[in-house]
Amino acid sequence: MTRRRLPEWLVLLLPAIIVIAAVVLIPLLFSLYSSFTPYKLTRPSTLWKWVGTYNYEKILSDAKFWAAFGRTVLFLTIVLNLELLLGLGIALMMNKVTWGQRTLRTILMFPMMFSPILVGFQFKFIFNDNIGLVNNVLQSMGFNAALPWLVDGKLAMFSIMFAEIWMSTSVFAILILAGLFAMPRDPLEAAKVDGCTPWQSFRHITLPFLMPFIYIAMTIRSLDVARAYDIVQIMTGGGPARRTELLWTLMSRTGYVDARMGLANAMGYVSIILSILFTVYFFRKLSAARAELGMAG
Amino acid sequence: MQKSIIFRGLMACSALVAASESVLAADWGDHAGVTVEAKLIGGQQYEGLYGRIAEWEAATGASVSIISKKSHFEIDKEIKSDMAAGTTDWCVGSNHSSFAPQYEGLYVDLNDLVPSDVVAGFVAGNIGASTVGGELLMLPRAQFDVSVLYYLKSNYEDAEKAAAFKSEYGYDLAVPDTWEQVKDQAIFFADPPNFYGTQYAGKDEAIVGRFYEMVVAEGGNYLDENNKPIFNSDAGQRALQWFVDLYTAKAVPAGTTSYVWDDLGQGFASGTVALNLDWPGWAGFFNDPESSKAAGNVGVAVQPMGSVTRTGWSGHHGFSVTSDCANKEAAASLVMFLTSEESQLAESAGGSLPTRSAVWEANVAAAKSGDDAFRAEALAAFAEGAEYAFAVPPIPEWGETTNIVFPELQAAIVGDKTVKEALDDAAEAVDELMRESGYY
Repeated sequence: MTRRRLPEWLVLLLPAIIVIAAVVLIPLLFSLYSSFTPYKLTRPSTLWKWVGTYNYEKILSDAKFWAAFGRTVLFLTIVLNLELLLGLGIALMMNKVTWGQRTLRTILMFPMMFSPILVGFQFKFIFNDNIGLVNNVLQSMGFNAALPWLVDGKLAMFSIMFAEIWMSTSVFAILILAGLFAMPRDPLEAAKVDGCTPWQSFRHITLPFLMPFIYIAMTIRSLDVARAYDIVQIMTGGGPARRTELLWTLMSRTGYVDARMGLANAMGYVSIILSILFTVYFFRKLSAARAELGMAG
Repeated sequence: MQKSIIFRGLMACSALVAASESVLAADWGDHAGVTVEAKLIGGQQYEGLYGRIAEWEAATGASVSIISKKSHFEIDKEIKSDMAAGTTDWCVGSNHSSFAPQYEGLYVDLNDLVPSDVVAGFVAGNIGASTVGGELLMLPRAQFDVSVLYYLKSNYEDAEKAAAFKSEYGYDLAVPDTWEQVKDQAIFFADPPNFYGTQYAGKDEAIVGRFYEMVVAEGGNYLDENNKPIFNSDAGQRALQWFVDLYTAKAVPAGTTSYVWDDLGQGFASGTVALNLDWPGWAGFFNDPESSKAAGNVGVAVQPMGSVTRTGWSGHHGFSVTSDCANKEAAASLVMFLTSEESQLAESAGGSLPTRSAVWEANVAAAKSGDDAFRAEALAAFAEGAEYAFAVPPIPEWGETTNIVFPELQAAIVGDKTVKEALDDAAEAVDELMRESGYY
């Protein structure tokens, strides 16, 4: 009697399948299941009580959740665009530097080396209304008021965006710089011979060539920013009065402080839609940009 | 201040001598070979007590393994994760009267393990606040918290200020006895951004606790007997209006809505805040020249009154024994040791407030006969303040209600909503939570 053997391809893939199932698939299915229960961390028995779509209905009709959702989209849009503009500017300038460029590139990456929590503390101090650096500088210049940087709705969002942009603009700059290094010189030289202005060269040659790099950076950063938590939690905790509440500060409070993990997981699944939409959008743009350059879609 | 340090040192030494003598005499049981695993709150003010654990180990033959030491908020998250994972076979946990009701089934009823004469030695109110659903879930340690009013004395020694105040408000400038007077004086003293009349905790449970005690002081309550929210009553609206008025008048720092205890303590210690309702743990810090610019200028008075009574939101730390502990007798022995009269004498010598009646009396008598006037003044204020103390509602949902309520309080303070809108919205959300939790 011959023993039935698993096909070789399956045997070879099995370790990877087991690892992925253990660390990704099972937790994912478990959290998906728990989003249909009233699971509270402090009452483990609630994990086995099925409530159907109650958590999802609650979230979909919750104005606070949608306000946090909208705020996260706004935060994402502004931060990504500003990081792109600043990163592009920095990369173009760096590309012109002929001496000490390596040192500059290293310095450029410094902010990325800090833990987001430390960046949060740093900017919380800088923007403190009473003892903060910014207000003290303003007061020493004769501006006799304490601006509530972390309290006023617009100023607080600005402060958080400032911290996020300070920390991560270099991701864009480095990726775009890599694109500039990889760019062939011939089209630019041909454009120069044909009498193109620097703006025309940038608009019609440099930028289209950089677009795939920009969309890769956008995809990576959109996933990062969509789950912004550390900096926001440290600087404002989502407050005051939910003025800076983003999806992840709301979810973490619901899941870990209120211990309502079932509801928090449901929020997580709804908010994943946001990440998927941004990712699909940027991948489509990436394919289009590559097709324009004659690369495979 | 030097005298204060010497006095405290002497008190601590005498308490420790008494404690060590007593340890030899006390019978903590024979638990030879037992290892008690403990999760304890960490922090400078809590560490002194843990130094005494070696004495309990020597007396019982058991050993203590501290497997986690974190802030209460971190310990809370860890314990919730333990409950979810079912890893609750450690034995002794730090607990707090505000947190205790959340941990359903985690801790044993200590009435079954601790003799009733031991329980009778504690202040009845503290035992009441440690009891949830008829079960004594923790024994209180000498970390009782109720707030009193700290103030800068110099503001009341200036004749010009006194005259200006009287002409503006029509009554004499004196240390305030009501919250209305606090408001008047805070607005009068404020000179932003250099000096503020007062300050308050502005987020998380901290602001809800402050609001809660103001509601009670105004004659209202947070929840009714069925745990239905009633804080949006007239009393609640008057209470919240007080916070709003101070913020609008710029009598508090603009960032106060992001402040919690450390920010407030550092603020008063910077000498730029006139009046500050705060906890007992800060007394020594505020009057220590090395940590505080206000040192030597600090007065302590009983907490002011609302229109009905004085405020008194209180809480206390304690120790609990888990239901899954393999040797509950040894764990209960350790808990009794850590909350014993000797331990409380030693711990409260550092300035914290005891939860045993005999230790209260000993501390007040020692302060009166000593030469540290500030310590005596502070203790007298806290002793009087403790009479008005009340704990938060003993329900698991307390913490969750605070997370619902605090953003609404902030919304009213910063002007996003009217007081009524904010409280009605908060009450509606808390009402939904209570219905979901099956209270009515």
